[in-house]
Amino acid sequence: METLRRHAMLGPAAAVLGLLFVAPFAFLFVVSFWRVRTFKLSPDFILDNYVDTFDKYGGSLLFTVAVAATIATLTTTLAFGFGYVIRFKAGRSGNALLMVTLITLFGGYLVKIYAWKTILGTEGILNSALLALGLVAEPLTIFIYNPGAVVVTLTHFLLPLAVLPVYASLRGVRDITLEAARDLGARPARVFLDVILPQCLPGVSAAFAFCFLISAGDYVTPRYVGGPYTSMIGDFIEGQFSLKFDWPSGAAMSFTVLAACLLAVLAARALLGLARPR
Amino acid sequence: MQADATRPGGERQPLVRLRGLGKTFGPVVAVAPLDLDIFAGDFYALLGPSGCGKTTLLRMVGGFTPPTAGTVTIDGQDVTRLGPEKRPTNMVFQGYGLFPHMTVRQNIGYGLGLARVADTEREERVRAIMALVRIGELAERKPDALSGGQAQRVALARALVMRPRVLLLDEPLAALDLKLRKQMQEELRRIHQSIGGTFVFVTHDQGEAMGLANRIAVMEAGRCVQEGSPEEIYRRPKTRFVSGFIGEANMLAGARQGGRVRLGAGSAFDDDGADGPVSVVVRPEAVRLGAVDADVRLEGRLEDAVFLGPYTRYRVALATGEEIIAHASDGRIEEGLAVGAPVAVGWSRADQRIVEGT
Amino acid sequence: MATTLWRVFGGLIVLFMLTPLVLVVLFSFTDNALTNFPIERFSTRWFRTLFEKDEFWKAFGNSLKIASSVAVISTVIGTLAALALARLRERVANAVLVALCFPVMLPALVIGIALLVFFNKTGVPLSLGTVILGHLVITQPFVILIVYARMAGFDYAAVDSARDLGASPWTAFWTVTFPMISTTVIGAALIALAISLDDFIITFFTIGGGNTLPTYVWGKVRTYLDPSINAIGTILIGLTIGSTVLALRVSRYRG
Repeated sequence: METLRRHAMLGPAAAVLGLLFVAPFAFLFVVSFWRVRTFKLSPDFILDNYVDTFDKYGGSLLFTVAVAATIATLTTTLAFGFGYVIRFKAGRSGNALLMVTLITLFGGYLVKIYAWKTILGTEGILNSALLALGLVAEPLTIFIYNPGAVVVTLTHFLLPLAVLPVYASLRGVRDITLEAARDLGARPARVFLDVILPQCLPGVSAAFAFCFLISAGDYVTPRYVGGPYTSMIGDFIEGQFSLKFDWPSGAAMSFTVLAACLLAVLAARALLGLARPR
Repeated sequence: MQADATRPGGERQPLVRLRGLGKTFGPVVAVAPLDLDIFAGDFYALLGPSGCGKTTLLRMVGGFTPPTAGTVTIDGQDVTRLGPEKRPTNMVFQGYGLFPHMTVRQNIGYGLGLARVADTEREERVRAIMALVRIGELAERKPDALSGGQAQRVALARALVMRPRVLLLDEPLAALDLKLRKQMQEELRRIHQSIGGTFVFVTHDQGEAMGLANRIAVMEAGRCVQEGSPEEIYRRPKTRFVSGFIGEANMLAGARQGGRVRLGAGSAFDDDGADGPVSVVVRPEAVRLGAVDADVRLEGRLEDAVFLGPYTRYRVALATGEEIIAHASDGRIEEGLAVGAPVAVGWSRADQRIVEGT
Repeated sequence: MATTLWRVFGGLIVLFMLTPLVLVVLFSFTDNALTNFPIERFSTRWFRTLFEKDEFWKAFGNSLKIASSVAVISTVIGTLAALALARLRERVANAVLVALCFPVMLPALVIGIALLVFFNKTGVPLSLGTVILGHLVITQPFVILIVYARMAGFDYAAVDSARDLGASPWTAFWTVTFPMISTTVIGAALIALAISLDDFIITFFTIGGGNTLPTYVWGKVRTYLDPSINAIGTILIGLTIGSTVLALRVSRYRG
């Protein structure tokens, strides 16, 4: 009776997950094998959509994975450094740093992208400041409309989200294990490599995977600050839905990019695993 | 005991020599400057209630807490400024501090790896130490799959495998339940005997200190108030605090005047010393009930008698409001004792200690 | 020395996180026609321009409707789930937790298009209702995680005592359990509110017609850089950060 009620309490959440997440995804997966005839979906079982994805968007896919890897690496590294400062170096102000992280957590996805556009733009804040300070004679165009701008913007957006799992794992490292390592003859660098880092691997890899997937699937940032040559796959996927109405292609592209991300994340994790102590 | 014979006035150099060692945190004195000598082969206890500074003292010996005064010398070398990784000491931490991401074997082999001990030797030493502390079958477990007692043994092995000149143990048995604690006490004694090393441990449990150590330093509020063998400390406590902390003790208030001590509760006897208030300390097992021929004899009323197996515990109220506890095996009791009835208590002067102050 | 360097690094990260948001708020209160230096004069001109537009108020209203519904629904559903999870064995609970939180790991774009195709094919017309359903997928994991974490140190003896003293399960819940966790639950609701208010991508795919504040911003952003965006930005930042700070306050969250 008790158990039954307890399971029933999980019901609504399971229903949300099943009906609004699992079912749509299963269906989207089915659709990725369909075809479009005169703007109408028709059930089928063809692999053309996947073949097309590689043919037409293979380059973009690779580029997307490269950009996502850059962002995930940069963000996770910064997040780890920041978490490390909060945990070990900041003393009492650690809480304040954590608060900054938490309040910028949900502080406007679109607003953040827009903010970076106004900062990096040719007539933007950075250029006007440089001009006003007399550091440059003419506005610089190198800040925006390139992959670098996408990296900066997404890193800014993802950083607080990455700090939380990393910090949570750093907080789980007990001081006493660090003392034990020093007692056994480890210098500070070895304590870091042998004791702190390995204990944080779960948090670090979760943050890395999260940043990787979110940046690989983003289309607003590249479209907005990436410029015409930063053609990330999310941009094309969105196009299949809002412009071309070729849903099967969009679906196939989505699953392809998710699979690519999964592979990349697993590869990164294996690489990290190699660095573990004996 | 072995060290005892050689200690007073002995020519041997102490292995660990603390001189004027002290630590203050801002205005708080954690350890007031003190001198201590620990000799090779000692099983040395730092005993005191929580907050008395004993752990801080141990951490200063291990190099985890930099002292604010004095020096630490180990084996003739001044190590005061060295970090823990450069000292010939290893520590068994309270709460163990096992590396959660390494197996038992990796935990134990970690320090040897850092010391660049060759693989074959390392394996052999790890195997031998695991056999010594009897955890051979746990080698591939991770720490979170260990029981408290097992984790304790792993922590011990991890420190011992380094062959430290001095092994430091911070409340080594505090986290274990009573039965395991007794068992681990035996283990520690066996290990200490079989490797013949020098162990220094911190404890708040006087029974543990008595059961393990051959030397005890009793600490109170950042000061070492008495140092000696367990028997010395038990039989000749220097202060009221020590007599109360080590074992059970009756303390009676009195005053000394002109070489004669008069107890508030009635009896009086000769004792040289300065005039002023004193306390007479006597252990419950030295107190006899119904004693007629005792050196010191007081009248009271039997309040309570509890049979505790090996002995019976009597509580006697005196006219001053003070109480005397007496432990007696059944055979020694006079017939006809009844709760609520008047009773005489007494003891021999050889069994009492007189400490200044009340 | 090394510690100083670390602190400088920490300071730079804080600047990096805060500066863009501070600039948006700063420029929303200027007279500048372009978002750049020098600042001519401080004014509320762009707020006034914004407040004159019906579209803004409609988008604002939609945002509030959606976010408050999402907050209430996902808090009820998520709290129920967290309470159930807390009574399961840890291993099982963790597995269920991973499954329930999985949507957070995926790009919103993919969730958005999956929902779009699904609603389309099952004949559910797009509306504010479908947006609410879509948001539940990404807000419910946060509610569950927050409430579940609170239940870790929960004293079940208090509830058992209530039952022992004659309370029905229902009464015990409302007189003992809920008062004990209410601040956490309110905190979780505010976090759900913030996430919903902030979401652009899922909203974009599931709203059909009409706007919320983020899609309204998006429409403006695509046409020209109107400094009134700074004003909307300030409002969005105020709402999301406001509810996050409030959430941290009431639940006394520490990391």
